[in-house]
Amino acid sequence: MNPILTFLVVLIGFYGLSTSTNIIKSVFSVTIIESGVILLFLNLGNFEPGSIPIINDETVMIVDPLPQALMITTIVIGSTVTAMALMLCIKVFHQYGTVEWKEILRREDIKS
Amino acid sequence: MINIPIILIFIPVVTSILIYLFKWRHMNLIAFAAQLVMTVLAIHYYLYYRGAFELTHIVLGGWDARIGISLVNDELSMSFIFLTLFTWWMVIIYTYAFGKTKHTFLFFLFFLQGVFLGLLQSNDLFNLFVFFELTTIIVTILIAYKKVGESYRAAIYYLLLNTSGVLIFLLGIILIYFNFGTINMVEITQLMHTVEDTTLLRLSYLFMMGGISVKAALFPVFTWLPRAHGVAQSAISALLSGLIVKGGLYLFFRLNFLYEGAGFAYSDFFFYVGALTAIVGVMFALSQKDMKQILAYHTVSQVGIIMMGLSSVDEEVFFGGVMHTFNHAFFKSLLFLGAGMIIKVYRTRKVGDIRGVARTMPLVSIFMIVGMLSITGAPLFNGFISKSIIMYGFAETSVRYWILFAVNIGTATSFVKMAQIFFGPKTVSYPMRHLAQNTAMMMLALGCIILGNFYIPFTTGFFGIPFDTVGEFHIGHFFDYAVTVGIAYMIFRFIVAKDYRPIRLIREYQVSFETANYVFIVYLVALTTYFILI
Amino acid sequence: MNTSASSSSRTVVSVSRRILLVAMLLVLFGVFTVSMLELEELYNDYGRQYFFENAFDETGSRNFVTSILLDYRLFDSLFEAGILLIAVSGVIWISKHDVEEKNARFMIDKYKTPDLFVTFSRLVYPLMLTFGFYIVINGHLSPGGGFQGGAIVATAILILYYINPDKETNIGFIVTVEKVVYLLIIVAASVSIVTRGTFFTNFFPVDAPADLKAIYLVLLNVLIGFKVSLGLWTIFTAFLKEGR
Repeated sequence: MNPILTFLVVLIGFYGLSTSTNIIKSVFSVTIIESGVILLFLNLGNFEPGSIPIINDETVMIVDPLPQALMITTIVIGSTVTAMALMLCIKVFHQYGTVEWKEILRREDIKS
Repeated sequence: MINIPIILIFIPVVTSILIYLFKWRHMNLIAFAAQLVMTVLAIHYYLYYRGAFELTHIVLGGWDARIGISLVNDELSMSFIFLTLFTWWMVIIYTYAFGKTKHTFLFFLFFLQGVFLGLLQSNDLFNLFVFFELTTIIVTILIAYKKVGESYRAAIYYLLLNTSGVLIFLLGIILIYFNFGTINMVEITQLMHTVEDTTLLRLSYLFMMGGISVKAALFPVFTWLPRAHGVAQSAISALLSGLIVKGGLYLFFRLNFLYEGAGFAYSDFFFYVGALTAIVGVMFALSQKDMKQILAYHTVSQVGIIMMGLSSVDEEVFFGGVMHTFNHAFFKSLLFLGAGMIIKVYRTRKVGDIRGVARTMPLVSIFMIVGMLSITGAPLFNGFISKSIIMYGFAETSVRYWILFAVNIGTATSFVKMAQIFFGPKTVSYPMRHLAQNTAMMMLALGCIILGNFYIPFTTGFFGIPFDTVGEFHIGHFFDYAVTVGIAYMIFRFIVAKDYRPIRLIREYQVSFETANYVFIVYLVALTTYFILI
Repeated sequence: MNTSASSSSRTVVSVSRRILLVAMLLVLFGVFTVSMLELEELYNDYGRQYFFENAFDETGSRNFVTSILLDYRLFDSLFEAGILLIAVSGVIWISKHDVEEKNARFMIDKYKTPDLFVTFSRLVYPLMLTFGFYIVINGHLSPGGGFQGGAIVATAILILYYINPDKETNIGFIVTVEKVVYLLIIVAASVSIVTRGTFFTNFFPVDAPADLKAIYLVLLNVLIGFKVSLGLWTIFTAFLKEGR
């Protein structure tokens, strides 16, 4: 049940990407997709029961630690992509005066 | 000796950081020295392992192969490594006299080389994802490097579209991991024969293919490419068109090999995707007036031709597609570098305003003509070899043959249009001597000619097939080429030069960002329908 | 009424397109649900078994996530740190004002930070910093590690911006230090070629006691934490400086 709902988060992110006319909303949608993917991986990793992957003398069985390690990397990557996208948004705004996709892609007069 | 792949990846990374930290005045020499060391190591490694590439599999850290990260090489990745090294040589020679901000530029450029070499050799799926994202970020920075308005919008379009594609790729990796318990590609290839064909497997396949298609600029998610390649600096455009797009195609091939045991029938679907890409690319290229946009749309169309070759089940046609990858890297880089010089001298990008290049810049004209002859498939140049291999793989009267023929005519028409820049009187003065740029372009032009005529040692060494029947000197080939150019000239005179209303509409058609994502989802659903529901 | 032919700043996606979009997303959702139902038979937990049996003996770390990040998959972590490096340099490069811009409106601090917030920040700041260091150093025994602890330390430093809005930071120096630390990380990861014969693993041999191996883990965690905190601090400063 959990993985299915988490996939719904990813699909909501894609819905947002395909219908937002504003750059900042697109950046948010990408963040939502990325959060959904991270949660999906962690959910699937916890499929079989177990305790957290830090062992002491009483641990019987652990959850798979590989998804958690991979997701740390993914979170770092996602945050850097968001930082770069937001900085580019600021620069686009300074050059074009607007953050709507249609306006930005249409204007041909801004060359330098 | 077996650790050379790791050294090859880390020499550019460490060099780039050292260049950034110590702002020496002669950083070009350090760049050349590093590149030379890498070339020597790569040649040494290839000669040592030739014929026995299974031994190149190393697991970093010495751990169990199903747990640790591993690197592996074979003939195809070695050929791509040599192509990478050569392209980077060209770029650093071309940008030799660049300017004050050279340190930052070289930092990003060299880091990208290290990352790309890692992408080619990696055997671990999540490692591929990390390299993928790294390539996306560095290329975004390089596109936005000029810091003008159009660079920023191209950069953010590229960044967001590619990131969403790569996240879909990650979804595919997740599903594979829980199916197989490991993310080592060699292991999964062997385990694939034992696993049954389920919806989960197919879903992971289509997610991964969907993610790769964004990176490889296939129809319908190629809309980032004309923007990005049209506004970047010429050296960066040459690098992107020549090599980074091929990274996506390289992964396409690798992943299809991964899934070989499951036996998906992907050939027809991807052939038609490639055909659509090629046709749409040529149509848009014919309607543009900006020189770099024309070349960028031609990249899209040539990627379509490569995909038509790569998707086929016939081994010869497949290797024709791989060979076209290399040839395209050569002539497209040459065209972009030449276009960059012409644009800098004439200060405009519109093809209609540039005239008299043959008198003003004779050396550059010769190189550009070599590039144009190669891309249109003239005999004695390299484009002819790979295009012929792909075309002769199809029966003479089939639909596939005529699609390829139509794309060839379209390409020829567009370059007939571009060749108008050579005629006319000398209008601009050109006092500068550009030794570095001319050297780079001359090496690329020589590469085109050599690969067009003396390609047999290369193909036998890297692919195992000599292809010697294709390049035979046959007067019929010249005749075919002349007919193609003749038809192209007719089309140009009577249709394209008049700039009718449909052409203008095609030129001004902009795909907005949300439409591009919408189309991406349509593509994913089309993949789902083809692979799962049918 | 003034109408300009090209500007329409409110463009809305049509309803029919939205309905079609929802339908397509539901198709994907359905396929995914079907494959999830199959997952119960196909689930393969080779990795889990392997880590449970071998990871503590081979790497000396009780926290298996850290053992994966710093030993089994150190190569990935190196490039993850590299991605931060690139993003920092990229953000700084893009944010530099070289070209004349027409619509630049700089961020003006309209709001003065409330005194309550400043006082509590002064109380919380040393606690956060200590907590961050604890997480970094204890990465191999409890949940934590270089990346996580580095983010906490970076947040602690950023609180200083609220306490003192006119704080000036020398970005060039921090970026240089960050790159030197990255080179140190690569060197520390590569020492194992001398002692063990392979790259990118612990430089103590596999059968060394866990306490010795912990030296490597703590060293690498501290370096990575240092690098991550510097990187995140620089990104935030670049954003602030862009607006000033």
